[in-house]
Amino acid sequence: MKSTMSLVVLLSLAFVLAFGAEKKYGKKITLKEKTKISDIMANPESYDGKRVLVEGPIVDVCRERGCWIKIGSDKEFGALRFKVEDGVITFPLQVKGKNTLAEGIVSVKKYSVEQLIAQGKETAKEEGREFDPSTVKGPKTVLMIKGEGAVVK
Amino acid sequence: MNWRRWNNILHRDVGYALVGLTVIYSISGIAVNHRGDWNPNYTLRKQILTIEPARGTTKEEIVVDVMAKLNIQAEELKNSFRPNEETLQLFLEERTYSIDLPTGNVIVDAVHSRPVLYEMNQLHLNTPKGIWTLIADLFAVCLILVAITGMFVLKGKTGILGRGIWFVTAGIVIPVAYWLYYWYS
Repeated sequence: MKSTMSLVVLLSLAFVLAFGAEKKYGKKITLKEKTKISDIMANPESYDGKRVLVEGPIVDVCRERGCWIKIGSDKEFGALRFKVEDGVITFPLQVKGKNTLAEGIVSVKKYSVEQLIAQGKETAKEEGREFDPSTVKGPKTVLMIKGEGAVVK
Repeated sequence: MNWRRWNNILHRDVGYALVGLTVIYSISGIAVNHRGDWNPNYTLRKQILTIEPARGTTKEEIVVDVMAKLNIQAEELKNSFRPNEETLQLFLEERTYSIDLPTGNVIVDAVHSRPVLYEMNQLHLNTPKGIWTLIADLFAVCLILVAITGMFVLKGKTGILGRGIWFVTAGIVIPVAYWLYYWYS
């Protein structure tokens, strides 16, 4: 009985050590070289459509479906949305605050005021807060990474 | 042994094997059906606190000052982030503190996964992927098998050619009729 219990404890420890340290989401990461989020944010047009590997803390997570995370920039006051296809990757809320290495394609899109209001309403609903359309002051360029794979540590 | 006996054995034994997963998928199905009204995976709690406005010039100094004011131990802190000049976020296990630095107003967002239901939803929505995809597919095929064999368990007045046909018809008409109503209205 004791030896069985010891085996169970050992196996549990091995499982935690093997899988507890980091968790993979989606496809395998293929790139070796990292791109700084601050570089992408400083010059988004030059990265549009390019595959990048970024690293940073997860500062926000989609509460509704776990379909995006926001990755904090290497410089203060900046974060980039890492959007994944609904249901293909689901990020749990517990990843908030952990560090991630994430790969995907940079997307730069220009949105009209009407599109931004519609998008703002949807995001606010996902995040469980009110949305004030008057906060949209004009058309905007939205930068994000279309996520394919991530490792959360 | 005639075909109906084999049919009934198959229906019974596959049915037994499906009890666990059917209950998991059904409970999770109800939970995620109402995701517009609640979060089926997590309980989210918000708390408002007020501390003295933060002191410090660098981010590190501000973090140390705020942690002391909130009585947060160093080993509890997972990460910190400043989304803008006036805000500091501190990330702890299942808790995020958003501090408005000039006023000292603090919003604490606590997240806890719902025990058992979270795991059921993960399985139902095939979050693990990999081998679970095969298990879930097999489960679906077995459900079809149980449904089909179920029609032939009994013969006579209570069988498929008796009252059974009405129940089977109702089970098909309800989704089709609703879809037509939804599509054309």
